[in-house]
Amino acid sequence: MKNGGSTRVPGDRGRNTPGTERAVIFDIQRFSLHDGPGIRTTVFFKGCPLRCAWCQNPESHNRNPEMAFYAERCRGCFSCRKACPREAIVDGPDRRVDYSRCDSCGACAEACPADALRLVGNERDPESLAAEVLRDRDFFADSGGGVTLSGGEPMVYPAFALRLLRLVRAEGVRTAIETCGLFGMADMKKLLPYLDLVYYDLKHMDAKKHREYTGAGNRAVLSNFTVLSKAFRHLQARMPVLPGFNDDEKNIRATARFLAGAGRRSIHCLPYHNLGESKLPRLHTDQRPLGLSPAEWADLARVKKIFRQEGINAVIYE
Amino acid sequence: MQSSTSKRRETGASGRITRLRAAVQGAAPGICTERALLWTAYHRDRGNRGKHPHVRMAEALREVLLGKTICIYPDELIVGNFTSKRVGGSIYPELHGVPVMIDLFSFNTRKTNPLEISRRERTALMKIIPFWMFRFLGVRAYRSPFTLARFMVNQLRGHQYLINETGGISHLAPDYEKLIAIGTDGIVAEVRSLEKGAEPDSNRRHFYHGVGIIAEGLAQFGERYAELAERTAFAEQDPVRKKELLAIAAACRRVPRKGARTLQEAVQSLFFAQIAINLESLDNSVCPGRMDRYLYPYYRDDVRTGRLTRARAKDILSAFSIKMSEIIPVFSRHLTGFHGGMFNGQVVTVGGVDARGNDSTNELSYMFLEIMDELRMRQPNYHARVHAKSPRRYLDMIYRVLAGGSNSPALYNDDVIVPTLVKHGYSLADARDYTAVGCVEPVSQGKSFSSTDAALMNAALCLELALNRGRRFGSPMRTGPRTRPVSRMRSMEDVRAAFEAQLGSMTGRLIRDLKAIERVNTRHHPTPLTSMLLSECLEKGVCSTAGGARYNFSGVQNTAPIDIGDALAAIERVVFIDRRITLPELAAMLKANIPDERDREYLRGLPKYGNDMEEADRWSVYVIRAYTKALSDAGLSTRGGRYVPGLYSVTAHEFFGRVTGALPHGRRKGEPFASGVSAVNGMDRNGPTALINSTNRIDFTEIANGVNYNLKFDRHTLRGETGRAALAALIRTFFRRGGMQAQINVVDPSVLIEARNHPDRHPNLLVRVSGYSAYFNDLTPAMKDEIIRRNCYRIG
Repeated sequence: MKNGGSTRVPGDRGRNTPGTERAVIFDIQRFSLHDGPGIRTTVFFKGCPLRCAWCQNPESHNRNPEMAFYAERCRGCFSCRKACPREAIVDGPDRRVDYSRCDSCGACAEACPADALRLVGNERDPESLAAEVLRDRDFFADSGGGVTLSGGEPMVYPAFALRLLRLVRAEGVRTAIETCGLFGMADMKKLLPYLDLVYYDLKHMDAKKHREYTGAGNRAVLSNFTVLSKAFRHLQARMPVLPGFNDDEKNIRATARFLAGAGRRSIHCLPYHNLGESKLPRLHTDQRPLGLSPAEWADLARVKKIFRQEGINAVIYE
Repeated sequence: MQSSTSKRRETGASGRITRLRAAVQGAAPGICTERALLWTAYHRDRGNRGKHPHVRMAEALREVLLGKTICIYPDELIVGNFTSKRVGGSIYPELHGVPVMIDLFSFNTRKTNPLEISRRERTALMKIIPFWMFRFLGVRAYRSPFTLARFMVNQLRGHQYLINETGGISHLAPDYEKLIAIGTDGIVAEVRSLEKGAEPDSNRRHFYHGVGIIAEGLAQFGERYAELAERTAFAEQDPVRKKELLAIAAACRRVPRKGARTLQEAVQSLFFAQIAINLESLDNSVCPGRMDRYLYPYYRDDVRTGRLTRARAKDILSAFSIKMSEIIPVFSRHLTGFHGGMFNGQVVTVGGVDARGNDSTNELSYMFLEIMDELRMRQPNYHARVHAKSPRRYLDMIYRVLAGGSNSPALYNDDVIVPTLVKHGYSLADARDYTAVGCVEPVSQGKSFSSTDAALMNAALCLELALNRGRRFGSPMRTGPRTRPVSRMRSMEDVRAAFEAQLGSMTGRLIRDLKAIERVNTRHHPTPLTSMLLSECLEKGVCSTAGGARYNFSGVQNTAPIDIGDALAAIERVVFIDRRITLPELAAMLKANIPDERDREYLRGLPKYGNDMEEADRWSVYVIRAYTKALSDAGLSTRGGRYVPGLYSVTAHEFFGRVTGALPHGRRKGEPFASGVSAVNGMDRNGPTALINSTNRIDFTEIANGVNYNLKFDRHTLRGETGRAALAALIRTFFRRGGMQAQINVVDPSVLIEARNHPDRHPNLLVRVSGYSAYFNDLTPAMKDEIIRRNCYRIG
């Protein structure tokens, strides 16, 4: 049972010290319909151990608050320059922030009349966050919905996640988590009594490919899955379907066999789309547009068919 | 998925219905002069001038019914034509007709709602203007020329309020159940026995006389169609159609004179009355109401005896439904600003509870929902009542058609509306038999003569006046009372006091003008036909315009409660909490129309209603309470009923917005207000659950005249089983927590933008405006922009 805890994962570096229990949240999406059953509120944690080339939420990588610049909204008034205490405002054509100087204080965003500069990420405590997500509890109760922790990677903040889930569950609200699979197993096991559902990403079965496209190998991801699959019934595998990366027959069959080996019978396939790439120029990030076209319906049907041949029911998200 | 589409096509509209629909939708709307000319000819006749108004009205309407052109169009099963045009409207010279005729030379060419009228028709109408110039209802309101001039200027400018009763009252759901059951002969018999108890030459006696005349006139109107159907059948070559025409003739021989025996006769009977009532007074909101309830016994008997199949019944009701789109209102451009979208407010309500509180959904409820979804036409307006025990199948069907983008039906919550009506004086059984009329207003079928759209008030103007000592921004003239200057307002208490003073004053002015119009309606334009189909008018021998009906509420609408609420929230935050600027500075900024864009962005960024923030929502709640109080202080109408508040706007939120100065929530002069209790455009930033949480803070049981609440989604959000279930959960939760009404708009914004830029590409695109559906192309350019701007929820 120690294997989870002893695995060194990039997320470990970002572990918050026990007791402080604060996390950086970059979005709270109410009326989410696709992060679990019913009407849900999804909490997006900032910080992720992976750097997937196709990431839809590039603002989630860095675990600290950061400035984003929406060039198309800027009117060039430079109210931000006056507001900035660190002289971090520059006059680039689509750049306004010198990230080497910026400490993400948010003064420029406050001063900007056009909402062109925004502070992404707020440090929150679990109590106020729980109160906020509980505002929609009537809708959760009626629709069979609840709260989903997403990100980024919520397990970057395991102590916070535990506190938040406890608070929410104490009010009778159902919970779910979306994870990339890189977490300390001991941490995850503490969360399980307060979770109704775990969505778990399986991106590629080949360690080399996995490392090439996500920045980390898949050993911990796979071993965590196997352990979790035994310990927790409501584990649901997910797979982002990326044309040309992981939708080849070999990988699909390998994924299916891995699932079967772990005692799982289904997988949810999330078709790739490139809407997240519009966020890239606004951020300080190394991620570059992937140049992939969105997944085609025919490809997804093929993926589904191969899974079925292997005895796995693949559900394709619209 | 595929099988369900093909199945739908199989059960969809028959060839006949498709052809009828195409004929009506393809017809260019026009103006029919017959009502105006026949009415004028009768009143010009000096022999008629001495008669009692009850008799005059009855005889004039009989002249119209017996003198107007009648026709039977190919494929029709239900016959009767509102006007001489396939799709047309009438002019009512004694009501609002004279002001409407301002547009006589531009009806053909105007951009919004063009109406066809030939040169000959125009000349004929020109000739009657001098006769009515000093006889129409508006000019009779006041004797003093000075007061009258003030009233007319106010009415024509329409900045403060619009008295809709100047065009007649209507807004009722007639007791068609009674007409269908006993026919006009039955009513005449009732009148004859009541008449005996009335003093000769008394008002009562004349009233009964008038009712007798028009009851007979209505019967003869039906018989004209019987003759025409017989003649047409004689010339008809196709044996199948010939048989149909003979059946139509037989039905028209029977009804409306006698009681109906079949579903076809029942529908035919009520449709003749529907035409006649629309020709009697204002052609607005004459509502068949709960048709599924009162037609069901006829349907059940027909099916049981094998006379009728479900498919045939559906054809009859579809044919009726299409007929309801053959009428349009004739408004001037000015009035179109308030009542856009060529909409007569004819409502059909389905579902709900019966008099004992049990669910009354039946097969016809489902049939009407199918018809509504298949036809998707402007009229009638379909509304669905729901309650905690509505059957699953019924709700599933409603949510399926809504998620599919039908934009109808609007949803009404029995569990809130029935107690609300009881609280305001309805008996429980009558409250349970409510139907919506017009836009969203609940009334008891056949028992209420509630002038539900008596007037529309621009309450937001009261805030402008409160911030400028009773003057409009930039105006030297005083409109309202001289309230405390902003420089001496020390707290929100002071702002509220000034606002309430202005609101009370404007309400007082409105009610005074409204009462003047109520009196001339009673004196000069009684409505014997309408009264004949309203409970207690006959028993009392009192016309509905004089308070004869059992319930006599008058609805006065606040068209911008949410904007006022957000504006007050902004004042509190900026001036009294953050102390960023002083109130005089803010007022000066508003007078200058918020010149600095940064100030505007700042004001728009403050907490707003619709985001589940108590700080902002409580101000909207306050405004609604203050408005309710101002109206309840106004006393009783001349018909003896209370003035009750409505929170909906038709399209007046756009018109009133255009004339109201800048407001502190970052709204510049001329921008439209929010519609009903929806959030200000684009200001609900946290999605539908947050918006609903905000709205649930309002106590709807105080709003006896109804609210309009738009929830807008794009198609993408509501797709599939997931989307449908989410929609159902949203509405269920909203209603369980006290929500009164909701209407779901499912529109893809890109389609709307395309429809605006290329009107020809989407000629029949239906959108929900304010309690009713309208063709997008029928809206003013500003309204189109507003529909597009309205927030659309998107998921990532």
